[in-house]
Amino acid sequence: MSMQATHASASVHHALGRIGWRLLPAVPFVALLLAWWIAWELLQPSKATLPPVADVVDAIWISAANGDLWTHTLASLWRLLLGAGVGIITGIVGGFVAGLYRNVSEFLNPLVVFFNAISGIVWLPLMIGWLGIGTALAVFVIWNTVFFIVFQNTVLGVQLVPQVYEQGVQALGGGRWETIRTVILPGALPYILTGIRSGLGFGWRALIAAELVGASTGLGHMIFQAAEYHRSDIIIGGCLIIGTIAIAIDRWILLPLEQRTIERWGLVIDVTKEQ
Amino acid sequence: MSVAAAPSAALARPASSLSLWRGLRGFRILLPFAALIAIWWTVKVAGNIDDGLLVSPLQAWDAFVHLVTHGVIAEYASTSLRMIGIAALLSMLIGVPIGFAVGTNRYAAHSLEGFLRFLQSISGIAWLPLAIIWFGFSNTTTLVIVIYSLIVPIIFNSMIGVRSIPENYVMALRSLGASRLRLVTDVYLPGALPSIVVGLRLGMGYGWRALIAAEMLVRKGGLGDLIFGARTFGQIDRIMVGMIVIGCLYIVVDRLIVQPIENLTVARWGLLRQ
Repeated sequence: MSMQATHASASVHHALGRIGWRLLPAVPFVALLLAWWIAWELLQPSKATLPPVADVVDAIWISAANGDLWTHTLASLWRLLLGAGVGIITGIVGGFVAGLYRNVSEFLNPLVVFFNAISGIVWLPLMIGWLGIGTALAVFVIWNTVFFIVFQNTVLGVQLVPQVYEQGVQALGGGRWETIRTVILPGALPYILTGIRSGLGFGWRALIAAELVGASTGLGHMIFQAAEYHRSDIIIGGCLIIGTIAIAIDRWILLPLEQRTIERWGLVIDVTKEQ
Repeated sequence: MSVAAAPSAALARPASSLSLWRGLRGFRILLPFAALIAIWWTVKVAGNIDDGLLVSPLQAWDAFVHLVTHGVIAEYASTSLRMIGIAALLSMLIGVPIGFAVGTNRYAAHSLEGFLRFLQSISGIAWLPLAIIWFGFSNTTTLVIVIYSLIVPIIFNSMIGVRSIPENYVMALRSLGASRLRLVTDVYLPGALPSIVVGLRLGMGYGWRALIAAEMLVRKGGLGDLIFGARTFGQIDRIMVGMIVIGCLYIVVDRLIVQPIENLTVARWGLLRQ
């Protein structure tokens, strides 16, 4: 009887421990909110310097209710989709060409190193003159950021596919195209996806920076405009939304994609094929 | 020297003509740029493009000489370099100890991982409007933004680095009576260093871009200010010179400082890549 009781209490402890473990990641967020709230109550700063927590929630709520928030968010996401889409496609195609032909990659490498160093917002002043302010400018900046990261990872992935596999398919009568499709593409895919993931991280940052000065819509523009009116509640709310979108794209779309590919093309397929 | 010498150089390489081979390598690096400048010049002349949109390589060179002889480049570049240097140093000095403190406690590490990820996904530049309200259009604003961009990846990777050290090493040293300081210098630091360097490199990538963007908006010196200021006066030659200088400086910082550290740690701590 008593043993059962201790057993039960142990499992209760265990369950509590597990719930606590699950809740632990929320602690810093709660602590920050509390610190913010206490700091505001104690110091009573002006609302332009540090708004109370409730104001930030209100600002997001009002912005969402009158539709501004959705307009800006959709404008940013649309630019990200366009710029990253073009960047990923051109990066993969270019990366395959450079990866398959050593002469091409050796010739291009110095240029890639240089243009990678100035990728993204460094182009802003020049491109404002060429493309004007707006979506084209933002799309260019994202494309420029994403392209080089995806390109470099694709080249690496293509070059790292062991030649034995290529020769194996060729020995069995596979043509050039077949080798690319069945060997090099799956072999390079994990690298390509890593490139896309890291490229989108940099791309989203570049977009926000580009929107600060080079757009009349978008989340970057929203927070920069708020600075002019000293609306720090909108700025903080906007920053939280920017971070949430970035983390959502990474966690829910890119990370699962990457893991599934690595699982599918990585170790698992080798084992099943050898069996 | 160029084309005709190539086959013989390739043949003679193992024996003697190392300097010729080096010269050829230098040529190989410069050739793509020569091609690019040729294309640039052709586009400019053939398209008869206005100076307000694109200048010729010669005009850009003239602007470069002008900016160098008047000390403009030196002043703006040193502002940027000083800023990124101070930010990197402070971020390492503050970030690594925080990362270690968090990483050695599994509860702290578990609770802070998501928070740090969230902070890392809010780019430093997004905080710029708030930083401008708090610190005005000043160098403090820029510095805060750059440190934020740098320190989060450094804390995060220091933490991951410490977490990845096998616990046996810590226990072995402890059972031999090592102090906490010994643990840090003999286990945590060497074990986490490759990961810290990864964090530093990522942080430098984020930080440098945040620096340029912040300088564009704060307008208190730095290369971002140089090219964005030139924009308002339509000085395309200055913009292009500024872009080239930014690219070269980033490559120099990355190749001469960050990459050697990485190679050193990777080679020394036995993760040598082929």
